[in-house]
Amino acid sequence: MGMGIAIGYLTFVALGLIIAFAVLWSTRRGRRDGGQGVAIEKAERAEPWWGVVVLVLLTVLLGITIWQAPWFTENDDPKDVQVKVTGVQFGFLVEPTAVRVGQDVEFNVTSKDVHHAMGLYNPRGQMIMNVEAIPGYTISRSYHFTEPGTYIIRCLEFCGYKHHEMIYPVFQVTA
Amino acid sequence: MMTTAVPPAVPGGLPYDDAEMPLALVQGRTRRYVLRIIWTSTAFLVVAGILGLLLRLRQGEVITLGDNFWYAMMTAHGLGAFVAWAGFFLMGVTFWVLMKVGLPIRSFILPEIMYWTMVLGVVGIVLTTLLSGFGGSWVFLYPLPFFSAGQWSDTVTGIFAGSVLLVGVSILAYCAAVLQTCLAPGLKAEKDTLGQRIGLALGFGLLFPSRFRTRRGTIPYPVLPFAVNAVDMFLATLPFAVLLVLNIVQSVNNGFSINVLLAGNLLWAFGHPVVYLLLFPAAAIYYYLIPRYAGRELVAGKAVAVAWLIALTMNVFVWAHHLYMNYPDGANVQQTLGTIMQPTTYALVLPSALSLYSIAATMYRSNFRWNVASKFLVAGIVSWLIAGLQGIINATAVFQDTLHNTLWIVGHFHNMAFLNMGLAIFGAMYAFLPELMGRPWWSERLGSWHLWGTVIGAYGWVACQMIQGLEGAPRRWAVLPDQYLTLTHISLGFLALLVAAQLVFAYNLWTTLRTSPFEDAKAVTVHGGTQP
Ligand code: HEM
Ligand SMILES: [Cu+2]
Ligand SMILES: [Cu+2]
Repeated sequence: MGMGIAIGYLTFVALGLIIAFAVLWSTRRGRRDGGQGVAIEKAERAEPWWGVVVLVLLTVLLGITIWQAPWFTENDDPKDVQVKVTGVQFGFLVEPTAVRVGQDVEFNVTSKDVHHAMGLYNPRGQMIMNVEAIPGYTISRSYHFTEPGTYIIRCLEFCGYKHHEMIYPVFQVTA
Repeated sequence: MMTTAVPPAVPGGLPYDDAEMPLALVQGRTRRYVLRIIWTSTAFLVVAGILGLLLRLRQGEVITLGDNFWYAMMTAHGLGAFVAWAGFFLMGVTFWVLMKVGLPIRSFILPEIMYWTMVLGVVGIVLTTLLSGFGGSWVFLYPLPFFSAGQWSDTVTGIFAGSVLLVGVSILAYCAAVLQTCLAPGLKAEKDTLGQRIGLALGFGLLFPSRFRTRRGTIPYPVLPFAVNAVDMFLATLPFAVLLVLNIVQSVNNGFSINVLLAGNLLWAFGHPVVYLLLFPAAAIYYYLIPRYAGRELVAGKAVAVAWLIALTMNVFVWAHHLYMNYPDGANVQQTLGTIMQPTTYALVLPSALSLYSIAATMYRSNFRWNVASKFLVAGIVSWLIAGLQGIINATAVFQDTLHNTLWIVGHFHNMAFLNMGLAIFGAMYAFLPELMGRPWWSERLGSWHLWGTVIGAYGWVACQMIQGLEGAPRRWAVLPDQYLTLTHISLGFLALLVAAQLVFAYNLWTTLRTSPFEDAKAVTVHGGTQP
């Protein structure tokens, strides 16, 4: 996901910078003709259309992405395993501590004191899921494991002076 | 010796410029008031900047700091840099810009309340964090302030919340003062009623010229962002004040508690709009200065008025995009809010997109005056685009699994706050300080060095943070996992450049203050710009 975001983002940045540079460069011509060589009214009349273009692009992005919000992708189908993850200052209680490849796993994430979050990292070090641990509430998130190995959990919500030591180092996914 | 003052009014003048300037007395007092805020906020920047540097040095394992102290410093740095420097500066300069478009301060009572509550509040924040160890981060996510794991007491939490409340009072005083200043006879409404003035200040005159008539021709565009911001920050600060008061109550009576989801909503009802406490005044500065350097009126018609109307209404309906990850089983309200607030947040892209269009069209093929001030502003505007595109990504719920609470977010807001609003602030200093101080800048060349050092240094550092974030580096970790160390070290190299550039700036400013003032005393009474 991170790579995709970076590529999509950089594409638009590149486009924007090209336009910005063209505008800045155009002031060289402006200097020659004293800024008189361009019909401003036209630019002003076109502005609402630029607004429409932006609106259309955003609507497309919304239409693609909103359905993938985590609260829409969860379903009530029975899962193979339920893993209870509880945050406490400053550690995670995880039960059970191992699952098998191919299993549909439902994480039930909660906290005993303040907010924490379960940042689940795969064996290659990428964060695959980020689930808030809210005191007094539970969030259920499912994941279908395809990759065996040792996963780690890091705390992704600031919870106090040992926040950065709040790591659960050995969540096993066996083949 | 070159100067970087605001250029003289363009031939024929902008419509803004035919505003009658207030009496020299009011001008002088406004000048001293704005200068006082500029110096105070710049002093806060020095403190907050050093703190930021120490934070990053610790992450790079160049120095060691106590764990809780790191988080206490982070709390002071976040509030200090964001509110006490950038926010405070822009709040102050608001009154200079408004005066220059013909809307001078009408009473100094509210502005003085704004100044002193801010200063007191910031002192309280610095003491409770750095001295008493309050390290709950700038969002002090409830109930963390009361679960300090032995690092600070409930009393400290109470005093911290009280100090932040003072800052809130300062913001409320600012909003009231801006409205008092904007809704003024200077709008020259034909039918001079309060309703007409409100409509004019919010841009209705551009949309319905026959309903909202003014004898000024146009209401100056910078008034719109200021007025919109004042209304919204008023609405946004009240829930925050409630949250702070509830925290104070709990600090004296620990039988009391708040629902954690409610607390989160109260926090972000303020936490989102407060970003625009910086962005909108920065936009107003661009609206004011860019047309003067381009030598033509801002290219903005009804579209921009519509944009600010969207900003006015949507700004207070987007807070839950900070709570996308709070969708506990059964809490359907929070999920619905998330679903609604992705599109409302997208709608807020329009004011930025249209502003950027207007500014670009204003500059396009204009006889643009390039100097240090205008270069800083243009660099800030380009950053508005670069960081704004990140904002669209952050507004999208599905990306949160990858980005939420990672250093990507930290990179994003430093990109926005420092390289957009911060550069607008420096641009405003280069543009306005000559007329405020009554002397030209000592060196234009040092100004250029400041610009390039700042832009290259800050972008290098911010980019490192964003890449670290994409690689999963968590936010608010005093010590990062080893895999991220290389990028932290690279970012420290860029930060060295950034610091060097600020030292150049400090030297330029210091020398400027020691040079003799303009000979022509009249040069500091402003009419559409200084003519040194
Ligand atoms: C001198 C340049 C600066 C440096 C080196 C710096 C560095 C940092 C660092 C290392 C953090 C902690 C990041 C983390 O791991 O979560 C941080 C947080 C933050 N910074 Fe800066 N920063 C600088 C300037 C600024 C400016 C100019 C602003 C705003 C105008 C700002 C606003 C913030 C905020 C709001 C936070 C978040 C605090 C929190 O999470 O409670 N910083 N900064
Ligand atoms: Cu934590
Ligand atoms: Cu927001």
